[in-house]
Amino acid sequence: MEKSVVNQSTIRKADPVSLLKKNAMLIILVLVFIFFTVMTRGRMFNPNSFAALINQNAYVYILGCGMLMCMLTGGNIDLSCGAFVCLLGAMGGMMMVYWGMGTALSIVALLALGVAYGCGLGALIAYVRVPPWIATLAGYLAFRGLGTAILGVSSTNSISFNNNPDFLNIFSGTLFRTPEGELNWPCMIVGIVGAALVVLLIFKNRTTRLKKGYEVDQLGMDVAKCVLGAAAILLVMFKLAMSGGIPTTLVWVGIVVLFYSFITSKTTIGRHFYVVGGNIEAARLSGVNTKRIMFIAYLNMAVLTTIAAMTTMTRFTAANADAGKNFEMDAISACVVGGVSASGGAGTVLGMVIGATLIGVINLGMFQVNLDANYQRVVKGFVLLAAVVFDILSNKKKS
Amino acid sequence: MNENKMSVGAFFQKYTMVIALVVVVIFFAIATGGNSLMPGSINNLISQNGYVFVLAAGMLLCILTGGNIDLSVGSVVCFAAAVGCVLMANKVNMWIAVLAMLGIGLAIGIFQGFWIAKVHVPAFIATLSGMYAFRGFSNVVLGGFRVDITNEQFLMLFGGGRDCYIPDFIRQWTGTTGKPNLTCLAIGGIAILVYVLMTVRKISVQKKLNIHQSIPGQIITTALISGVIGFIIWQLASLRGFPTVLIWIALVLGIYQYITTKTAIGRHLYAVGGNEKATALSGVKTRNVYWFAYASIGLMAGLAGILTAARAKGIDPVYGEGYEMDAIASCFIGGASAYGGIGKVSGMIIGAVLMGVINQGMNMVGVDSNLQKVVKGLVLLGAVVFDVMSKRQKR
Repeated sequence: MEKSVVNQSTIRKADPVSLLKKNAMLIILVLVFIFFTVMTRGRMFNPNSFAALINQNAYVYILGCGMLMCMLTGGNIDLSCGAFVCLLGAMGGMMMVYWGMGTALSIVALLALGVAYGCGLGALIAYVRVPPWIATLAGYLAFRGLGTAILGVSSTNSISFNNNPDFLNIFSGTLFRTPEGELNWPCMIVGIVGAALVVLLIFKNRTTRLKKGYEVDQLGMDVAKCVLGAAAILLVMFKLAMSGGIPTTLVWVGIVVLFYSFITSKTTIGRHFYVVGGNIEAARLSGVNTKRIMFIAYLNMAVLTTIAAMTTMTRFTAANADAGKNFEMDAISACVVGGVSASGGAGTVLGMVIGATLIGVINLGMFQVNLDANYQRVVKGFVLLAAVVFDILSNKKKS
Repeated sequence: MNENKMSVGAFFQKYTMVIALVVVVIFFAIATGGNSLMPGSINNLISQNGYVFVLAAGMLLCILTGGNIDLSVGSVVCFAAAVGCVLMANKVNMWIAVLAMLGIGLAIGIFQGFWIAKVHVPAFIATLSGMYAFRGFSNVVLGGFRVDITNEQFLMLFGGGRDCYIPDFIRQWTGTTGKPNLTCLAIGGIAILVYVLMTVRKISVQKKLNIHQSIPGQIITTALISGVIGFIIWQLASLRGFPTVLIWIALVLGIYQYITTKTAIGRHLYAVGGNEKATALSGVKTRNVYWFAYASIGLMAGLAGILTAARAKGIDPVYGEGYEMDAIASCFIGGASAYGGIGKVSGMIIGAVLMGVINQGMNMVGVDSNLQKVVKGLVLLGAVVFDVMSKRQKR
């Protein structure tokens, strides 16, 4: 008797309005992309634009994952990550160029620096209970100053990594490079495998849910999801294949994004982040070590900042005093546009990725239509506001 | 009735930042061989930090409502000043330009406040988007170039150029010349007199209501503060006189002190920061309190724009960058709680002066400007860690 009840899955009806609301940002992203493709007479759709989008925004995706974890715990943010990128760049330059440490040793040392800062910051926030805002504001003020002071060893205030090809190859460049305009097969194969995996995962998820008697979407919805997801991946990978191959940064971004999607959706610790953000007192009383969660959030952020710093250093092939400026704002914007709640407890990695891509597309599009740099800032500001207002209004009606 | 007796520990706890300020002042006085206490240094300290006091006063109200901040002020300062400077460069009457700058600040404040108060957009996001947008707008208005101010009257009134001091009416009237500046001394004298009378009145009210505060303690505090005011005024008088920018600073600080301590809306700011739900249930329109706070900081950003433009005798598209952090840091160092509900104008003043003294002192000693930023960050962190730790012990 009981068993038959358990086995009955209800099928979630898809009504167009809620569907539209749920995928609002995705739809906006597609519309914006089409808009700029028309405005640039197709230039936006060139293979090079896809590669540029990924290379220019790699740091946003990576930092966005870290910022997401911080924001989940209750709308906490890290203001210091941009300045820390600058400091790490300066330290990396000293290690590799001035002290002649090997590439591997330098990377390990930089990671150690990140871990050390993360532990210090995490301890201050979680155990001393300094508000995250202020604890990271101190880093924001101090690190750029320190980084610039260190870069003062060079007369140009910049240290070049051109003599460290190993380092550059690990974090920048292209895998299995082929000439532009020629189809790069390794890239295409990765795309096909990726698309197949998406289809597989969606259907595996569906069968599991059916077996456990959870609510499922209509079959047509899942098929549509498969088709769209696979098509998007294939399109991006095809464009990248035509531009010469997989950008190395995409590998790093992919690893980070997949890892954090897994953590946030499938693991206990990931759920704890949401619980802490939803109601920290309730979380504590249910036995979640809330202090440890806060500590991990900031330790994690510092480690991701280190990875973002290395992709930034290699992208510019140099460590500069300006590196990392406004990175914190970009990461926060990506999260918020992607639907991460500014008061914690809600948000997904996929949402953040959509948010980051939307901002990236707008930036690149405005650049390609030669919009005045000043108006670019104005547009960016209003898009950010509009996205959040839209999000708030659509959620308000739901509840 | 219990006499408020203070242990040595509690005294240090309450006056940490004052003590820190005294130590820092003495340190730099020794390190610069007394130069940091000379009239010129004190004059510069005031004129250079005018915008910090004005912005921090506005920021304090926002922070009180629950640790909310306004990231856009730096850009709004630049935008308001840019419009004003362009107007004046086109021979528009100075007062219209001034009104335009204040009006722009206020309008932006009301605009951002609307989103924050009525639509519940997180303050951080609403003002972050303002930070981008108005920086862009000010570049557009300025066309990417610096615009100079040639209007002498404007400069004089708002603290720029060589003559931005109150003219010595008393010496003109009596027909004498020389130093010290008697008008400046007279203003200082009146200020101290008013302050002493207010303390006397406060003590008599306390007696009437049977509130026992340590009377010798209050007399000593009043004497010390009067002494500091007297010293500053004497140094200013022996140089060029009373800087006009100090009028605006004093006016703003006075008004904000009054708002936060004596008015209903002021108490509502604290109540909302303490517990918004309880405040709403007690019949306060909490969303309007937010709106008020953001409108007020918008207006202050407009005024800070005027002061910044006057001091620099013009406006550059990059002016105002980082001003938000100066204002926020002053409030936090001055003991405002990052969770809202706690913070005083007097504390904020001490925070702002402390940052100003450290900046100037490091400049005079010749510390590298990059390392200055490091020290600034560490001071901020130290202040807050100490604050958090000492509050925890109390519990």
